[in-house]
Amino acid sequence: MATPSLRGRLARLGNPRRPILKPNKPLILANHVGERRREKGEATCITEMSVMMACWKQNEFRDEACRKEIQDFFDCASRAEAARKMRSIQENLGELGSLPPKKLNKLLHRFPNKPHVS
Amino acid sequence: MAAPAVKAARGWSGSALGVRIAVFRFPGLTQVRWSRYGPEYKDPQTDKEYYRKSLAEQTEEEKYERELKKTQLIKAAPATKTSSVFEDPVISKFTNMMMKGGNKVLARSLMTQTLEAVKRKQFEKYHAASAEEQATIERNPYTIFHQALKNCEPVIGLVPILKGGHFYQVPVPLADRRRRFLAMKWMITECREKKHRRVLMPEKLSQELLEAFHNQGPVIKRKHDMHKMAEANRALAHYRWW
Repeated sequence: MATPSLRGRLARLGNPRRPILKPNKPLILANHVGERRREKGEATCITEMSVMMACWKQNEFRDEACRKEIQDFFDCASRAEAARKMRSIQENLGELGSLPPKKLNKLLHRFPNKPHVS
Repeated sequence: MAAPAVKAARGWSGSALGVRIAVFRFPGLTQVRWSRYGPEYKDPQTDKEYYRKSLAEQTEEEKYERELKKTQLIKAAPATKTSSVFEDPVISKFTNMMMKGGNKVLARSLMTQTLEAVKRKQFEKYHAASAEEQATIERNPYTIFHQALKNCEPVIGLVPILKGGHFYQVPVPLADRRRRFLAMKWMITECREKKHRRVLMPEKLSQELLEAFHNQGPVIKRKHDMHKMAEANRALAHYRWW
């Protein structure tokens, strides 16, 4: 949807009606955008960890008896780490259409908004 | 030659080539550990097998890397990194962790004395044992060292996470290097603190290494304590967000 109009919304001399909007800062575009909100991740490898701990409880925490479960846990951990790295690289390279906020801010500082005329 | 070409490209008169000028990153923080090499410097390759490969055995990437190395800038290898057959990265790391105040000579001598003590003890056992037992006794101190440290590595670690104003110890999977570091750290701390003042470090370390090799001893107990705490706190695993 297009930007809502500002006509007759602010308290100005030419405006007969009472103001609709009362902004506390001047309505001028800033030369930066806000940071991306980090999405809430959830814990990975919970099932492998619980399987391994059940095995430990049965075998008095001996590692030789639980080799397979421990190996599965390590594999899950390395896979989760690799996935996290890929995701962070993807975020830094391209943000599904637009640039990441840091690169956008750099671009905006190179071509800043001109609130003045001259 | 690479060096004059790079200097001409850079065009700086004062500083030497590739060396970074000291730069303040943040007003409150000073860097205490920094390298004088720029990002274009690559790490040296000290592996002799890499250079002995004939042209037919090399893959495309290796051929490309060899060509690249002819013009790239390479850092100087540190004094402890050699292409000798006797060099062991685990032993080097352990020696560095044992070192105090930069006294590498002392740390290295302690390390060699430890390995010698381990070997002597195992040989005594070997000569005193019967024929069937002799096959089971391991005499190579390096294999004993590696196996002992591997037995001491924890599988899962605990991390304090702040939730609702309290710190909870949450079980978390550890990276390989963190596990190796913890094993070595526990071994060194145990040997430094829990020994009599007249007992020397090689003696105590060799004893602890042999116990860890057989999955006994205080370092293994500490690893099991960590596992038990993690098992007790397994309900808190959902406090992780990674």
